[in-house]
Parts: sequence; C-alpha cells; structure tokens
Amino acid sequence: MIEYFFLALGLLVMVFSTLGILRFPDVYTRLHATTKCDTGGAMSIMIALAIYVDASFFIKLKFLILAFLIALINPMVSHAVARGAYKYGIKPKVVVDMYAWDNP
Amino acid sequence: MVEENLLVNPFGWGVILLLITASLVSYRVLFGPTLADRIVGLNTVTTKIVVIIALLSVLLEAYFLLDIAIVLLMVNAVSGLILAKYMEVRR
Repeated sequence: MIEYFFLALGLLVMVFSTLGILRFPDVYTRLHATTKCDTGGAMSIMIALAIYVDASFFIKLKFLILAFLIALINPMVSHAVARGAYKYGIKPKVVVDMYAWDNP
Repeated sequence: MVEENLLVNPFGWGVILLLITASLVSYRVLFGPTLADRIVGLNTVTTKIVVIIALLSVLLEAYFLLDIAIVLLMVNAVSGLILAKYMEVRR
C-alpha cells in the first residue's frame, strides 16, 4: 500500500514541475522549479517501483541505482546550466543580484 | 501475468500522465525565448522519459529496459554539461 502513496507523491510533484516550467518568468526561476521538483518526483517513483516490483533482488537494486544516479546527475546539470546562462549574458529579473556583487 | 491494458494499474495511469506533462514541457523547448530555456526543457523531458521507461519495464515485465534507462540518464548528463560549457565559452 505504501508504494501507491510514493507513486501519487511523485506524480503530483511532476505535475507541479510542469506548471512551474510553463508559468515562471525567468530561466533561473524555471531552473529552481524544475530541478527540485523533477529530482524529488523521479526518486519517489523509483522507490515506489522498487517496493512494488515482484522480481529478484538485483532488479530492485537497479531501481535504487537509478534513483541514486538521478540524485547525482540532475542537480549537477542544473548548476552547470545556471552558471553557463549567467556567463552567456542572461540577466535575472530580480531586485537584488548578489552574484554580480562578487563578480563585477 | 502481463496485463494487456495499461489503465487497469495505477502505474499505467502514471505513464499516461507523464506523457501528457512531457508534451506540455515540449512547448518550452519549441518556443523558449533563450537557449537556456530550451536546455532546461530538454533536461526535464529526458528525465520524464527515463521514468516512463522504468514504469514500462515493470508493466510489461521486460526488465532489460532498465539498462536502457540508465544509459539514457548518463547521455542526458553528458549532453547537458556540453551545452552548458558551450554557453559559458561562447559569450
């Protein structure tokens, strides 16, 4: 029964990630929405599948490896994209830009 | 044991919902104002497709699809890093 709870949580988080990437005004706020929501939703669905699947131990282990790789890779790519977008010249639509204080 | 219809299982409903959300995100890939928006959209679509492949491997009981999901995730990481480095260098 617990796997359906994890599945519903993951799907809800995925839907909110889609809403964020469609409605937010800026690339940095879109990154903020999509990296947290997507990582959490995908990991939650992977844990639900690892509980639900009726197979041997190594297939459950593959699901957990997939969740670990998602947690490792998705924030790294988001960090690199944010840094590259700032160096590319896209200014954030915010009042206070603290990154510009340190890097004039 | 293999179910013919996807919609008798809650995980099958998950496949349909993830397909709908991935096609909604592809709007940002097509009409994004800048290059970074398109990269963010592509990253999100690829993560959703990895989850869809993992769900289908359980629903169809074809567990070799898990290896394809892991490899697609690694390709996503490399392509995202290369595009970010291109944006950083090009100025």
